[in-house]
Amino acid sequence: MNFEAVIGLEIHVEMKTKSKMFSSAPVGFSREPNTQVAPLDMAFPGTMPVVNKQAVINAIRVANALHMEIDHTLYFDRKNYFYSDLPKGFQITQQARPIGKNGYLEVEIDGVKKKIGIERIHMEEDTCKQLHFMDYTLLDYNRAGVPLVEIVSLPEMSNGTEAMKYVETIRNIVLYSGTSDGKMEEGSLRCDTNVSIRPIGQKEFGTKVEVKNINSFKSIEAAIDYEIKRQSQLLLSGEKVRQETRRWDEASGKTVLMRVKTDAVDYKYFCEPNITPIHLSDEFVENAIRTCPELYDSKKERYLKAGLALSDVEIILSNIDMASYFEKAMDKVKNPKDLANFLIVEINAYLNKNVLKITDLSLKPETLAEIVLLQEEGGLSHKQCADILFKVLEEPTLSPKDAQKALNIVAQVSDTGAIMGFVTQVLDANPQSIADFKAGKDRALGFLVGQIMKLSKGKVNPAEASRLLKEELLKR
Amino acid sequence: MKTITMDVLKDAANRLLFTMSEEEYQTLYDEFQILTKQMGNIGKIEGLEDFAPMTFPFDCTTDFLREDEAKEPLPREEVLENAGNVQDNEIKLPKVVL
Repeated sequence: MNFEAVIGLEIHVEMKTKSKMFSSAPVGFSREPNTQVAPLDMAFPGTMPVVNKQAVINAIRVANALHMEIDHTLYFDRKNYFYSDLPKGFQITQQARPIGKNGYLEVEIDGVKKKIGIERIHMEEDTCKQLHFMDYTLLDYNRAGVPLVEIVSLPEMSNGTEAMKYVETIRNIVLYSGTSDGKMEEGSLRCDTNVSIRPIGQKEFGTKVEVKNINSFKSIEAAIDYEIKRQSQLLLSGEKVRQETRRWDEASGKTVLMRVKTDAVDYKYFCEPNITPIHLSDEFVENAIRTCPELYDSKKERYLKAGLALSDVEIILSNIDMASYFEKAMDKVKNPKDLANFLIVEINAYLNKNVLKITDLSLKPETLAEIVLLQEEGGLSHKQCADILFKVLEEPTLSPKDAQKALNIVAQVSDTGAIMGFVTQVLDANPQSIADFKAGKDRALGFLVGQIMKLSKGKVNPAEASRLLKEELLKR
Repeated sequence: MKTITMDVLKDAANRLLFTMSEEEYQTLYDEFQILTKQMGNIGKIEGLEDFAPMTFPFDCTTDFLREDEAKEPLPREEVLENAGNVQDNEIKLPKVVL
């Protein structure tokens, strides 16, 4: 029997704000425990929640990026449960009236686009961080009250790859809209998955299993694909899939049972009486959308139009700091593709070698653009410019021109007569390559150009050398 | 609308950790029959769909949102002052994992 999987995702994203959702306590990751706490976060009597404007702006921006209908009146509800991670005994959330509903996003897999529906996005507060030991638990309330949005997809994904792409797309949206740092490893973007399978053609959903504790994009794909396989094997061997919550165990590459669900938890939702409905004017909502930083997809499209290869665009956009660096230099060069080459090859190699991040780089984007222009307008080869770049990186006080002088780098030879001299020498010394080229081996051409570059110590213009070489080869 | 039966009441009481006598169940059940009937009567009023649902109990709205400015948090000593047990500046509890 063949099965198909039905997957829905719930993603919690911590909003990037200075203060918490309902209190003025500062928000800070990795701070000393219990130092970012206001009386409200500890549920001290007499404290009242007041909604954070920036958290609302962020939620509007995400909802808009997900093509959602935005509710212009904010309502909050209490989700009641008794547990140590929230001292009030309830979480303030938006149950009845989420800020956004009926949206979608598109994921692209192997060039094929798929639209995935999104049911709702709502604002709420995060819980405190619990550290569980053998027989006790430690509580740090720094995280209690940090603004969150929860994005709930429709059950419209059918494998681990689609789910991974969906989460990646959400991550790109929150990252580039400046609404969150979207770090799965630090828990600012957390993903719970619901996986069920059913025989192909069956309309009814199968029994749903929830998988938690997924901390990376790769784990999303692996955990879901593992779960689909596990459920398929159960059904094929005549067993039933139980409704349960499992967790992803990275080390063993398996999902592990956490608890069997006997009944849905009843949270006794009711409206939060301490926050009156808040009306958002059309102007407020429109302004939040208009001032949203440029999103990932828009940048991607713009870079592709500027002539960059898709693979290069994806590398640059995979790091928002690199994208920002690229952005500052791209208008200052003739061809952004040349800039991308330096950034992806030379700059990345330098950063990796020295274990640095691009934000640590002393080289300003404008200076890199100057170096790129030496190639584009100054007649220097890529290799010569790379030497200048590394010299400037080593000695940041040098300007690119100073570095060029210090390295005795002179402009490439574009003079046809001079280049022809090198072409002739190389062809005379490599008769076998001439024979190979005439026998249809294109690689021989690359080899011969390489020999010309070597002989000229990189000084000839490779495009011109290649052109003359081809002409000369046809004559021989 | 959900039909209120004796089983629904017993299930709700069980979830809320209440114990009630049969007499109390009967009283509650009878009250719900009246309430349900009244709600049904309200539902018959013409033109109800022209009114927004009363999601919030009071007729008051605001447009106030707090500016995102962090203020001085509580000193840690005060945060931990009422905790029964503290370890490494964190509040220590018996382990109860949900």
